[in-house]
Amino acid sequence: MFASVLAASPVFAAKSTLPPITGFTAGDMPYDSGSIALLAWDADAGGDTAAAVSPGTLYRVFVSSLETGGWIKAAEFPAGEKMSKNIELPFWAWKVQGNTHALKVELNNYFSGFKDGTVFYFKIAKVKGAAAIESEVVSSVTVSNWFRLDRLNNLILLIILIIVFFWAVFHARRKGLFIRRIAGLDAIDEAIGRATEMGKPIFYVPGIGSMSSISTIASAFILGEVSKKVAQYDSQIKVPHYDPIVMTVCKEVVKQSYMEAGRPDSYREDINQFVSADQFSYAASVDGMISREKPAACFYMGYFMAESLLLAEVGATSGAIQIAGTDVEHQLPFFFTACDYTLIGEELYAAGAYLSKEPMLLSALKVQDFGKLVVMVSVFFSMILVALGARFGWEGFVRGILHLFRNY
Amino acid sequence: MKLIKKQIPLAIVFITGVFTLVSYYVPNKTSIDYIETMNKWQNIVVAFAFLLGLVSLFFSHYHKIARKADGWGYSIFVFVGFLTIVISAYVSGGRQMTDAGLTPLGWSFKYIYNALSGTMFAVLAFYIVSTAYRSFRIKSLQAFVLFVAAFILILGKVPLGQIIWDLALGWTGAGVDQVIEWIMQVPAVAGKRGIMIGISIGAIVTSLKIIFGIEKQYMGKD
Repeated sequence: MFASVLAASPVFAAKSTLPPITGFTAGDMPYDSGSIALLAWDADAGGDTAAAVSPGTLYRVFVSSLETGGWIKAAEFPAGEKMSKNIELPFWAWKVQGNTHALKVELNNYFSGFKDGTVFYFKIAKVKGAAAIESEVVSSVTVSNWFRLDRLNNLILLIILIIVFFWAVFHARRKGLFIRRIAGLDAIDEAIGRATEMGKPIFYVPGIGSMSSISTIASAFILGEVSKKVAQYDSQIKVPHYDPIVMTVCKEVVKQSYMEAGRPDSYREDINQFVSADQFSYAASVDGMISREKPAACFYMGYFMAESLLLAEVGATSGAIQIAGTDVEHQLPFFFTACDYTLIGEELYAAGAYLSKEPMLLSALKVQDFGKLVVMVSVFFSMILVALGARFGWEGFVRGILHLFRNY
Repeated sequence: MKLIKKQIPLAIVFITGVFTLVSYYVPNKTSIDYIETMNKWQNIVVAFAFLLGLVSLFFSHYHKIARKADGWGYSIFVFVGFLTIVISAYVSGGRQMTDAGLTPLGWSFKYIYNALSGTMFAVLAFYIVSTAYRSFRIKSLQAFVLFVAAFILILGKVPLGQIIWDLALGWTGAGVDQVIEWIMQVPAVAGKRGIMIGISIGAIVTSLKIIFGIEKQYMGKD
């Protein structure tokens, strides 16, 4: 770091023919945690707009915590780059200034442990060959902001979804809702019945996700319904685990299901079993169990990576009915080809509600449908508007539409 | 009792969920510190839960050996493998490499663990072939579409396939690489994005169900 600390260079002090740097300001970057300073200066006066910039002209940006000396080079880039329009913020949160440079300086990269209100000093140098010119030194304090205005579009969509969510929940209490059939979930009864008739176990694999993964949570809900049916049919279920926390939660879920089915005596502690927290060790172990025990049915519900095919293919070879569900879209093709039924992404989330048939839970499926409707309508109209904008050259309009649907 | 078993856990879920949700829109340091603290707590819980997993693993395999259940011999390897690694780690002082070279722990990882993991990963190649064979059995219109798309992709990836394409369909002026690019960039991406949009909305709704206590199956019903 000390190597990059520059004292005031005699080069910069030398008389230069370069035009002066004007309008140089430093301020707090809005909507951040207070670790970024925003520098801006005029581009026009220096004649360094993209078209006018002469090759070899560079800007060097320096930062210091002292008013004099201790300068650290924070950035170096060709004149004509880092313009105000390049700041990635939406139109409602950032006003693009014509021909103005704008540069974000991550102060965390140079200073650690500073607090809100700490003053930092900045200067820039414009260099071309041996000629150089320096700006005046400006100072700024950064503050930790309280709202990400750039995420306003996201927040509005969330608020709409929450309103619809509560509307659907209260609506569910008044009358029933039509839910389309999901073949993979209807086949669960068939799979459990088959296992009961054959006297063979059912394998329920919750994947390699942690309890913070939505697909694992959804898997635990499905496990509750599946194990309830298993208890009713007096069949056997085995749940090999990758994550000890998931195992602990699933133990409670299965125990509760056996109690609800009126068969607490049939519950055994070894239904849920920790296998390994290593991906391929887990796959090898579960493959071994499936090969040896030849289960009548295998359920793969949750978060899966490369082990998806290792598990599903062994299950298919063993002759088990296989039902899979995951929200990892690049593993879906493997499940499609190796399993009898596959729940695609959102169907996995809906499965717990679908199986439980509780009106309150079913109502949430309507919110999912509403969300998809919003997306479809938005995509349709945005497509038309963007095409029209592109056709007639309404650049700002097109950018505005794209900003509305972007995640910041 | 209901307060302890139901209401307090639901309140914890609600408060934690709302704080975490709000922190996405609040960039303040307080919000960042909150998320960091939660992550630390999560790591501590995971560390303790790992012990639970270990106990579960040992008990289930111990019972298998004690009952002489089918395949009980494999269970012996769990204890042998565990002891081997623990003893080698103890002897090596927890280090895999020293100036003298690989320690027993490092040797175990490099020549046993890595080799076994690599073998499992390599098995995937064989399974992909058998899966491809299964997916090429045309049973429905969808399977036929899948077959055609996959066949064109395979054709375009091998030189012989490209020659066949040029001989049979060269007159159309469309190269196989262009067709492949179109398949990958248009219908494949459209389908993938459709699935991802559904997943994202489903994830939001599932989270709302948990935060607002609509979904509480994980706590039981009573």
